[in-house]
Amino acid sequence: MEQAVCARQLVKSFNGNKAVDQLDLEIPRGAAWGFIGPSGAGKTTTIRLIMSILFPDSGALQVLGCASAFAARQRIGYLPEERGVYRKMRVDEFLLYLAQLRGVAEPLARQRAGKLLAQLGLVDVERKRCEDLSKGMLQRVQFVGAILHEPELLILDEPFSGLDPISVRTLKDMIRAERQRGATILFSTHVMAQAEELCDQVVMIHKGRKVLDESTQRLRRQFDQRRILFEPLDMQADVAPVRALPCVAALQINDNGYGNGYEARLREDCDAQAALQAIGAALPLVRLEFARRRLEDIFINLVGEDSLREHLQGAA
Amino acid sequence: MNRIALVARREFLTTVSRKAFLFSIFLMPLLMAVMAVLLPRLLNSRSPEVSGEIVIVDPTQQVREPLAQILRPEALAAQAEETRRMAQEAANAAIANAAAAVLRPPQLRVVEAPPPGDVEAAKRWLSEPAQSARRIAVIAIAPDAVERQSGAAGFGGYELFLRSNLDNGTENALHNSTRQALLRTRLAVYGIAPQDIAPTLTVVRPDAVLVGRDGEQAGNRVFNTMLPVIMGFLLFMSVMMGGQALMTSTIEEKSSRVVEVLLSAVSPLELMWGKLLGQLGVGLMVLSIYLALGVFWLLQFALFGLLDPTLILWLLVFFIVTYLVYGSLLLSVGAAVSQISDAQALLAPVMVLLVLPMMLLQFIGIAPNSTFSVALSFIPPANTFVMLARMASSTPPPLWQPLLSLGISVLAAAGVVWFAAKVFRIGLLMTGKPPNFATLLRWARMA
Repeated sequence: MEQAVCARQLVKSFNGNKAVDQLDLEIPRGAAWGFIGPSGAGKTTTIRLIMSILFPDSGALQVLGCASAFAARQRIGYLPEERGVYRKMRVDEFLLYLAQLRGVAEPLARQRAGKLLAQLGLVDVERKRCEDLSKGMLQRVQFVGAILHEPELLILDEPFSGLDPISVRTLKDMIRAERQRGATILFSTHVMAQAEELCDQVVMIHKGRKVLDESTQRLRRQFDQRRILFEPLDMQADVAPVRALPCVAALQINDNGYGNGYEARLREDCDAQAALQAIGAALPLVRLEFARRRLEDIFINLVGEDSLREHLQGAA
Repeated sequence: MNRIALVARREFLTTVSRKAFLFSIFLMPLLMAVMAVLLPRLLNSRSPEVSGEIVIVDPTQQVREPLAQILRPEALAAQAEETRRMAQEAANAAIANAAAAVLRPPQLRVVEAPPPGDVEAAKRWLSEPAQSARRIAVIAIAPDAVERQSGAAGFGGYELFLRSNLDNGTENALHNSTRQALLRTRLAVYGIAPQDIAPTLTVVRPDAVLVGRDGEQAGNRVFNTMLPVIMGFLLFMSVMMGGQALMTSTIEEKSSRVVEVLLSAVSPLELMWGKLLGQLGVGLMVLSIYLALGVFWLLQFALFGLLDPTLILWLLVFFIVTYLVYGSLLLSVGAAVSQISDAQALLAPVMVLLVLPMMLLQFIGIAPNSTFSVALSFIPPANTFVMLARMASSTPPPLWQPLLSLGISVLAAAGVVWFAAKVFRIGLLMTGKPPNFATLLRWARMA
């Protein structure tokens, strides 16, 4: 399949600090790619390199079959992390201006803008000034600005930051719709769950280097055989029978966001399947499963906790 | 539509539709009108009447009486009216009214200070706290003020002692009145009547008449000396209007972070040219409005013939190159900083470069063909201002000089635009500490 984005050995430094270090990237057309990593990892710089807003010190880059995004910019939609609008401009004028800059004729742009704003729950905002809109509304307006020209490649830098849960859901639906239309999606986030939910493939970046490039499907299949999650029918029930099982090393209340329950940590030498059955027999349960490895865990595993702490302190 | 044209159109429309812009465009003519109409009235109503007592110490016994006559309020008022009338003949009504306001006559009463003839006693009188009226001045006439001492070349004069600082008008009235009284008395000593000698000393100065192929035309000295300054001022105003807006709109785009969205749709160079051309349109509009107002005014006073129409053409051409030089500089300042408060340090040198030619204009007007003027009219960025002023003067330079100056400006503009393009490209995404000029130069070399 032809690649939407293809980068080879990208390097970009600022004042001697390597923000992006020998990065390889291949995003097939029609795919949804997630860019994850802590703040300051190099995500935004990589995106700016792909967008030809910055230029690499070395390395090769192809975007939508063109030598740079520069030549293909009419076919790319971009929502930068630092989102801005002309505060005094009216919403419809702003959207129209962006669309015209990307070569969409005025009547078509108006028609699409009205439709997309309505889809995002923004009614009667066209004639308002940008400064009169709330932050969440503005963010949706800016998203409309990024997709108004029906781009083949949609690059979103931290699209969900600062949004309320309802807006997040609406935006996720819009991103899925764009994907169905056939657009290739690349978005960055530091919230791993969002990447897991929306992406085919996840690229992890740490200190400008790629530390992981893996499909979310494969990642999901990676279970942690040493951790079993279970939820009793009655949370008040006594869990002593489970604690008494020979293969259970430790038992604790699980509060990782997967709902109420307990997490049993198994001894290294015991049979995980047998342990699963034993726990199921010990108590009436509503849920029983091996813990899935979360991107957070994988990430910390990959880069090491010390390195991450050091990095975050450096960034702060 | 072309992307540059789209950016230019937005830049132009956003700038000219701002209320603040419309206000500032008409502010200057409005201020001038207010100055002409309102200021004299304000001066009039604000200056309180001066009233009080003065003492004349006159050893000659001849000056005191005529001086007291002249200092009578009615006499001073008549004199002020006469000055106003003369000013009106010489200049326009506004200046005359202003003059009249300043010449509002003081109410003075001439009193005796005991003992008469003693200057020291009069000075003591002046310094004592007054019981009734305000004590204002002592005029001490010299003993030889009316008749020359034998062997002396000139007459003696007078001394003026004041209690406190007076306004200029009253002090002038005291000086002028004393001078007049002395002259009259001296003439009387020689047996000459003042009304005989005044016409003898008066020669009316006429306005020069320009004699050309098209016939005769009254010259206007005020017009001729003002024109170079007006031309420079028009250039300054229109460059400022466009350039300032260019800087603030760039800073706004940076600080509101809209610039990154723009850069995903247009190249930095397209954005820069769009902005430059959009504000060029703004500057041209401002210039056209001022020119139209100026021409209308000239037509009103039937002075249009005094203006060489090609000068207007030159003004427009020089405006474009001057705007490109200063506009690009202001654009790079805007791109280099993240907020308007950071711009001050970088803005100061640009403003000096812009204001300096304006300050030199009056010297250029006096000597348009001095070595200094000629040299300066080829050194950018002042050259366009100076050359325009020289061309507007009564002795314009030969045609090759403005052409050469224009060529130099075009080269300078090309250089500055190149520099601005580099700074613009790098600066747009830079945030944080504002750079200094050395950093900007490094950026220009880097990009």
